[in-house]
This record gives sequence, structure tokens and C-alpha cells, in this order.
Amino acid sequence: NAVPTGGMEEVAVSTRGGGGTRRMKWALELSLGNTRSRGDRQSSQGDTLYPIGYSDKPVPDTSVQEADRNLVEKRCWDVALGPLKQIPMNLFIMYMSGNTISIFPIMMVCMMAWRPIQALMSLSATFKLLESSSQQWLQGIVYLIGNLLGSALAIYKCQSMGLLPTHSSDWLAFIEPPQRMEIMGGGMVL
Amino acid sequence: MANLRTCLAFLFLCCSLCDAVYEDQVGKFDWRQQYVGKVLFAHFESHSQASKKLILATDKNIVASLNPRTGDLFWRQVDKAGPEGHIDTLLFHGQDAVVVTGNGRLLRSWESSVGALNWEMLLDPGSFLAAVLVGTQDSVKFVAVLKKATVSLHYLSNGHQKWTETLPDSDTVHYQAVYSSGGSQLFVLGVVPHSHLSIITFNIEDGEITKCNSAPMLSLRVCILVGQGVLICADASTLSLYMLPLSSEEPVGLQQVPLQSLDLDLALGFQPVLLTTQPNPARPPLAQFFLQLGPDHHVLLQLSDGHLSPLRDFQPAFLVSFATTGEKTVAAVLSPKNETACSVSLYSADSGRRLLDTTVTIHLDPNGGKPEKLYVHAFLKKDDSVGYRVLVQTEDHTITFLQQPGRIVWTREEALADVVTMEMVDLPLTGTQAELEGEFGKKADGLAAMVLKRLSSQLILLQAWIAHLWKLFYDARKPRSQVKNEVTIETLARDEFNLQKMMVMVTASGKLFGIDSKSGMVLWKHYLRNVQPNAVFKLMVQRTTAHFPHPPQCTLLIKDKETGLAALHVFNPIFGKKSHVTPPTLSRPVLQSLLLPLMDQDYSKVLLLIDDEYKVTAFPSTKNVLQQLQEMASAIYFFLVDASQGKLSGFRLRKDLSTELIWEVVIPPEVQKIVAVKGKRANEHVHSQGRVMGDRSVLYKYLNPNLLAVVTESVDTHQERSFVGVFLIDGVTGRIIHEAVQRKARGPIHLVHSENWVVYEYWNAKSRRNEFSVLELFEGTELYNSTVFSSLDRPHLPQVLQQSYIFPSSISTMEATLTEKGITSRHLLVGLPSGAILSLPKMFLDPRRPEMATEQSREENLIPYAPEMPIRTEWFINYNQSVTRVRGIYTAPSGLESTCLVVAYGLDIFQTRVYPSKQFDVLKDDYDYVLISSVLFGLFFATMISKRLAQVKLLNRAWR
Repeated sequence: NAVPTGGMEEVAVSTRGGGGTRRMKWALELSLGNTRSRGDRQSSQGDTLYPIGYSDKPVPDTSVQEADRNLVEKRCWDVALGPLKQIPMNLFIMYMSGNTISIFPIMMVCMMAWRPIQALMSLSATFKLLESSSQQWLQGIVYLIGNLLGSALAIYKCQSMGLLPTHSSDWLAFIEPPQRMEIMGGGMVL
Repeated sequence: MANLRTCLAFLFLCCSLCDAVYEDQVGKFDWRQQYVGKVLFAHFESHSQASKKLILATDKNIVASLNPRTGDLFWRQVDKAGPEGHIDTLLFHGQDAVVVTGNGRLLRSWESSVGALNWEMLLDPGSFLAAVLVGTQDSVKFVAVLKKATVSLHYLSNGHQKWTETLPDSDTVHYQAVYSSGGSQLFVLGVVPHSHLSIITFNIEDGEITKCNSAPMLSLRVCILVGQGVLICADASTLSLYMLPLSSEEPVGLQQVPLQSLDLDLALGFQPVLLTTQPNPARPPLAQFFLQLGPDHHVLLQLSDGHLSPLRDFQPAFLVSFATTGEKTVAAVLSPKNETACSVSLYSADSGRRLLDTTVTIHLDPNGGKPEKLYVHAFLKKDDSVGYRVLVQTEDHTITFLQQPGRIVWTREEALADVVTMEMVDLPLTGTQAELEGEFGKKADGLAAMVLKRLSSQLILLQAWIAHLWKLFYDARKPRSQVKNEVTIETLARDEFNLQKMMVMVTASGKLFGIDSKSGMVLWKHYLRNVQPNAVFKLMVQRTTAHFPHPPQCTLLIKDKETGLAALHVFNPIFGKKSHVTPPTLSRPVLQSLLLPLMDQDYSKVLLLIDDEYKVTAFPSTKNVLQQLQEMASAIYFFLVDASQGKLSGFRLRKDLSTELIWEVVIPPEVQKIVAVKGKRANEHVHSQGRVMGDRSVLYKYLNPNLLAVVTESVDTHQERSFVGVFLIDGVTGRIIHEAVQRKARGPIHLVHSENWVVYEYWNAKSRRNEFSVLELFEGTELYNSTVFSSLDRPHLPQVLQQSYIFPSSISTMEATLTEKGITSRHLLVGLPSGAILSLPKMFLDPRRPEMATEQSREENLIPYAPEMPIRTEWFINYNQSVTRVRGIYTAPSGLESTCLVVAYGLDIFQTRVYPSKQFDVLKDDYDYVLISSVLFGLFFATMISKRLAQVKLLNRAWR
């Protein structure tokens, strides 16, 4: 019902934009009511055009609500279990990449380590996501555990690649030469 | 398969270790100087105008030819060192330089133009007495060699023996000299002490004894042959000359001519020296001769018609010499002019008249020695007058070649052929840098003044920088050959990486040199007079250049072997000037010295001198130093090794500067003798305290700064019973940490002791080969005390690992590289008798090299054990610049961690840089700056252009 009104309006505007009715030879007014006041027309529209019982506001649909809640719950579980599900995949990648130190294994290890850390850093955002779920706390803990497991795996990988400074040799460069307590010199009798 | 892999790994390792120089790097960082030693005999080759040469024979057993224009070597023939190659005499005729070497062992003839060996003859045994060229009928054909019991005549052309004759009564008669005066006779002069002279005349053709003269003579003196076969002898006891005509038929007695009858006044202690000349061996000697009456008094005498007459009296005159050109013979006389100059004048030998315009003035270096020998090369000028050049040798073994009227053509510092010890000293900062540094040393005098001072010094710095830029710009326009970087003592300044240093060299003759390590130029020299020939030197750097404005200070300890007394010479190593600091006078013989890391208030390290009563003298001995010494006394130890008694003893300093004996180790001298004792170098830094094993644990090094390596050799040198012993002894406690005996081994032993390892080289008498052995000490996987090291608190002995390797050559000397922080891997620098200097990676001498390569050893980069040590020619750091008779190698760290400065000295001096782990901290020499910068600029402009293009495109799209 708005289209005809727009068209009418346009025509009305153009006729008015032309400089007023005085200059025109003729004009066709298709709309009802007078052209003087738009506000009048707007206010009168609702009363005149909509059928009886028509309401602008949508009516909430209560019949599908139960199925949706299940869906949300499922979705939240998906989010919470995501890190755990990645672990077998990571294990496989770890196994495949081997323990040699070269660019690809290093990149993989970095990815593996970085993803859980990133997830742990945006923990609050994820918790907000899980807010709608009833098992919010459980899911949160599962999510946390998954990520922690992921990072533990990355650390294990670093360890097996020898990237962690866990041996005494890794700290060798920081040992200061011992201070000498005695001054000694001499030699063959000249 | 595994074997192949290890082989491959090994090959790869070897390839990665190659560090030979590229062709265009030759002479860029290195230089070599060749020396010949102290001149014993010199001859000028003058038979043709075109090829003039100077033929020398020296005390270093060298026959050499020098270019008289430049002083460079044409050729040099180096014989065996020691008495075996000693040059007894050098005779020169035409193109042949005839040399008798090794106390009459060999007779050799060298071709003078190229230095090729014409011929060589083994002479009959017998100690050498004299040799002379023999000429007959105006040509020189023979060489006569007089030995203890024989006289032999050899052809000059091929060395073959013409004849040899036994001398009669050779056990009673001391034969002395052999003469020929151009006839067919050869005179041999012998003396029976306190009895008579014996003159034997041989026929040159067949060696037959034609005549046996004897003349009574009670005491003995010097004799020469003058004129037509007249023997002139001088006697100090009767103060007279004796004449004896040799050619006369009937025996004639000696004719005595008292010196007083010749109107000659004599100095006390008259030691007569006679000097004659025989311009051509085929003709009789001149009738004129010189008689030395005193140290600065000579007289020219003439023999005519059987009468002696003085021609001219020269006083003062230090040195005299004859020279011949064509038919003219001149006498050259060197007389002192004043304190710093001498003059040489020519006199006609016939008349004793002085030749006009022939004076050469020699300016003597006040830091040099007095003239010792004079060699004159005379030549005829176009106007038939005599011109000449002079070769003067001074006491400090400097040879100077001068030409009229006193211009020095060249100078050679032959003392450098015998370097005893050396040190490298950092150069001082430039004036501007010093200006900045000086700010920190001074006391604060208000904020405003400090700011002003800082601003002014920065301004000076800016000014210097602009001047430098301007000079760069100015020099860039000139062709490269014209740009000379003249190094003078004024322009000396430390470079960016401290690669240029001052080499302070001490030579056996007692002359000190300061040499710029970059160019090899002698910047200063200082001759120490009255240094005994067999003195012992020890050079110490007491204050480095780091303590501006205090000048650097070196101290040289000179000990006279005879008296045992020592003297200290304190000097500035940059300028060579004697320091105004007065060293202590040492009244008792000094046994050893010890440079402490303690400093006095002027930042000079304290030197302790231990005398034969084991009392200590400190230098400097200010109150501050004595106080510090008192505080530190209980921590100062020293050890003395007496090789003759086989005794090692350790002492501790008491507060009153006396000492107490705390330990003593006696190695019985009847069984073995101590040949070397080596501690660690004081300026050595070890960066890594341990070694990383394959399983990533650490094997900690046993870094005992007080450890001494003592090497002994058995007295019994029988192949089966000889042995070499190695003792590692703690110098503080006297504890023997380790001892090893290498059976069936013999010296000479060369030893390097550094970090936690000892490398030594010996001769394996059983297998007849040279072997290297390496000892490494480890503390284990746990450190006992990581913060302090005290020898007094070390309950555990270290683990000692040892391995030996076969080395395909004998070695002359050995030293380890040294770097600033000790991060760079170590190499051993091995001087070979061939003159090469081998840079041998220490990783080849590693007792942890496994027999079978395992995973872990590969992880550790250990090369599998191979008994043979390779010598790769790429490892020769001196490529073809052989260092003859290398005696020592000195290494010094530079400002760059990767770079170590090396000086090898012996007969030659060679300086270079080595990079044991490659140049990891500098851009390569051939780094392509142009390519890199053009790529950078290209990318930069490409970015700019594409940015602009992108903007245009975006705008266009927006308009669409």
C-alpha cells in the first residue's frame, strides 16, 4: 500500500516543485484528502488503511522455543569441546612433523602453541557466548581444560624437540668465570 | 654405510674449515720482512757496471746478495743453523762467491747473479784455519784451504781438488795463515809458541814443498804479507814490527823495526792489528798497510826497498778500509766528527794524500750503536776521479749504505733477525678521542663548566670528522697509487677495531724496536748499550694505553747470565722513550719476576722481583702499593724452577716482603731433566665454562689458573729407555694433579698450555715419527664451586683425558690463537721447519674424539678418531711467504672477537690476522655493497611509484 502513496507523493511534489498550482495549466490529484498538510495525511493513514486488528508489533512465537534451547545448548557444547576435538589432529600433526628443527615443524609448533594461548586470552568472550547455556560452568571448564591440554601438548612437543631450556647446558653461557682467589706467577730461574 | 656417512661428515667439516686467503687478499693484511743477520763478510761485485751486487755472509749462516740501490734481497741462501753451517770465510772473485762452511766441512761456490750453487765439495776432516784465492799468470784459478794438518788447492771453476798436502809437524806447529802473491808459490805460515816461526813454501803446480824456512820468534802476534812477499809481524811486547822476506833464497833472520824509530807514539795496552789489501789475487799485495795502534789511532805504513816508513797518521780514526777500482787503490778512514756524526774520507793508498771532495758524513742515531765495520765500494767516475759508497755496520747490527755526500741510500735493521721476545701494545687514542676521555678523568668543576667542556670537545670532534671527510673526498679524486698512508709516530692512532697495534720487539743484540703491525714499519728503535751477548730478557707491559693521560709503560728485565745481576729498562712502548720513572736498583741477582694484577694509583701494575735470597722487591714501590701488598700478601704465591737441580719450589709472600717456602717437588736430575714449564697466559679469557655433551648435559672444564705443565726428558737418550714426562702441578699448593710418561719418546718437545688443555709434540723413537698428544682436564658434570676458584679448596682431582696423533712433520714452534672474549674456537699455530705456519684447528686435537661415530658424538660435532693428523696446504696462513727458521709465534687479541693477530718471528718476521671461526662479526671483504644498495634503492623507488599508481587507480575507481 505504500507504493501508490509514494507515486502520488512524487507527482504531488513535482507539481509543487514546479512553482505552485498557479503556473500549471492542470494538475491531477489522485490521493484522497487535501494536499496542504502531510502530517494530516500521515496521521489519518493508520486509521484509514490498515484493516481492523492489524498490529505493527510482531507477536512472539512460543511454540518453537523448546527446540531452540536444545540447539543453543548443542552449539555451546560444540564451542566448549572444540579444543578437545583438535587434540587428536594435533597429535597426528606432531607425529608427522618429527623432532627435527626446521622451518615447518617450528611453524606447526608455533601454531599449536599459539592457538590455545589465544583462546585462553579471549576466555571472557567465549564465556559470554556460553552465557545462554544452562551448563555454562561445566562447558567453561571443559573449554578451559581442552585449551590447557592443547598447550600442554605444545609444550611437550617443544620439549621433545629440545626447545625448552631444561638442561644445564642451556644455562652454560650464563655461568660467569670463577673469581680467582690466589695470584700466582713465576717460572724457570732466569 | 655408517662409515661412508662419517666420511662425508668429516669431508664436509674439513671443507667448512678451509680458510686460505684468496689471491687478491695476498699482502692485504699480512707482511713479511726478511733479514740476514750480522754481517761477517761483505764484498761488492764490481766487475761490470750494469750488475752491481753486494754479497754478504752473516753470523746466521747465510750467504745473501743485496741490491745496493734499495737494500732489498736479490737472493738468500740459508744454511743449517748452529756450528754445522757456520760460515768460516767468504771469498769473492768475478761471479763466484766461494764459501767455507761448518769449520772447514764444505767448500761451496755460489753464482752471484742468481744465487745458484755452482759446485760443492766435501773437504777432508780437520778444523779450518784459513782460505785464500790463488792466482797465477794474472788469472785466478784456485782456492787454497788451510786446515789444521793439511793444505789443499781446489779449482775455482769446478771445485775439484788439484792437490792436498800434509803439513809437517802439525802437532807442534800451529799453522795460521796461507798466502799467495801471484807467483807460483803458496806460503803457509805456522808458529811454534815461544820458539820460532815456520814458513813452508809449496809449489802451486804440484804441491811440492819447495822450501821450509824458520825464523826465531819468542812471542807471537799478527802477521801479514806485504808487497813482493815480505812478511810483516807486529809484536806488542817489544813494541816493534818484524820484517821477513819470504822469497829470498838464503834464510834471513827477522829484521826488527821498533815502532819508536818510525816516530809512532803508542797508547797503553797496545793491541796491534794489521790490515793489508791484495786487489787482485794474481798479483802481490800492496806495499802499503794499516797498523792499528789504539782504539782510535791508525797509521798507514809503506814498505819500499826493504824500509818501512809511515805515510800518514790517522788520529782519531775508528775504522779503516781499503778499496780498489781499476788500478787505483784508496784507503778509507772513518773518523769521529762530533757526538752524533762521523765522517769518512778517502786517501790515496800510494801517497797517503787526501782525495778532494770525498768526505761522507754519517749521522749516527743517538739511540743506535757505534760503527763497527766499514766496507767501501770505490768506482771511477767519468772524469777519472774516484767515487765511492760506504756500507757501515754498527754495534746494533744496523747496516747503512751511504753515498756521497752523506745521503743514506738504505738502512737494514739486521738485529731483527734475532728477536728474543715481543709484546703487542694497543695504540693510543687520537687527540680528539683522548680529549673526550680526559673529561671523565678530571674532577668536576661545576655544571656549567662541564657542559661547556663537553660542547667544546664535541665541537672538536665534529671538526675532526669534517676534516676526515674532506680528506677522503680529496683523496678520492687522486689516483689510488698516489695516495700514500704514511704512518708516522705522530699519526698513530687506534683504529676502529683495534687491529693495528704496536709491536715491541726485543732483539738479542739489545736493540728494542717499535713496529707498526699494519705496515711493518719500524717506528722507533732504541739500542741498549752494554747488554751482554747472552743476556736473558723478559718484557712486561706494566700499564696499557687504556689509562689516559698516563702514558703506557713497558718494563724490560735484562739479566746478565755471567754475573746474575739484572737491570730494568722502563720505557714508553709507543714512542720508545725511556721513562722518567726510576726503576729500583737491584743489588742482588734476580731469579724471577712476577707481574701482579694489582695497580698503584697511577694504574701501573706492580712488578715483583725475587732475588737469590728469596726477598722481593716491588716496582713501583709507593706507599699505596706496599699497603696493597700487605693486604694481599697471603694470596700471592710464586714458583721457581731450577732445571739444573730438578727442583720446583713454591713460595708465599709474607707481609714484610720476605717469602716462605711452602712446597717443593724434586724431579731427580740424574734420571730426567726439566725442559719446559708453562703456565697459562694472564690475558686469556675462557667464555664457556664447560662442554655440551650429546645428551645436552655439561662436562665442566677444569679451569685452574694456577696450573703448570712441566715437561721432562730422560737423561738416557737410548731409543729403548728414553721417555718424556708430563706433570701437571698446581703452582699454589704444589699438588701434582696429573702425571704421564710417554715411553720411547724423545724431545725436542713443544708445548702449549691453555684453557683446560695441554698439547705437546715429541719424537716417538720407536715408531720414528713425530706425535702430538693432547691432555684435557674436566671437573665432571658438577661444578665444585662456581663462584670462586681457590687451589687450596679443591678436594677432587679432575678427570684427565688423553689422545695422541701422528703428525707428518717435525715442528719448530707452537702457539695457540687468542681472542678478546674467548668465544671463538681455538686453533694451534704450528711453525714448521719448512717455513710454513700451519693453523691447526683444536677440534682435531680433542681427546674425546670417538673411535666409532655415534649419535651423541655426531651431535657434539666430534670428528671420529683418525691417528694421522692431516696437513692441508690451505691451512698455511702464510701461503708462500715462508718464515725461515721460525723461532716463536706471538698471538694477540684484537678488538674483533673473530680476529687474532699473529706475528711469527725467526730469521724473518711475518705478521697476519687469523680468523679461527671465520669472520662472523664483520662483513666479508668482497661484500657487494653496490648490489645491496642498488636493490634497496630500487625497491624503495618501486614502492613509492606503486603507491602513487595505486592512489591514482583508487581515485579513478571512485569516479566511475
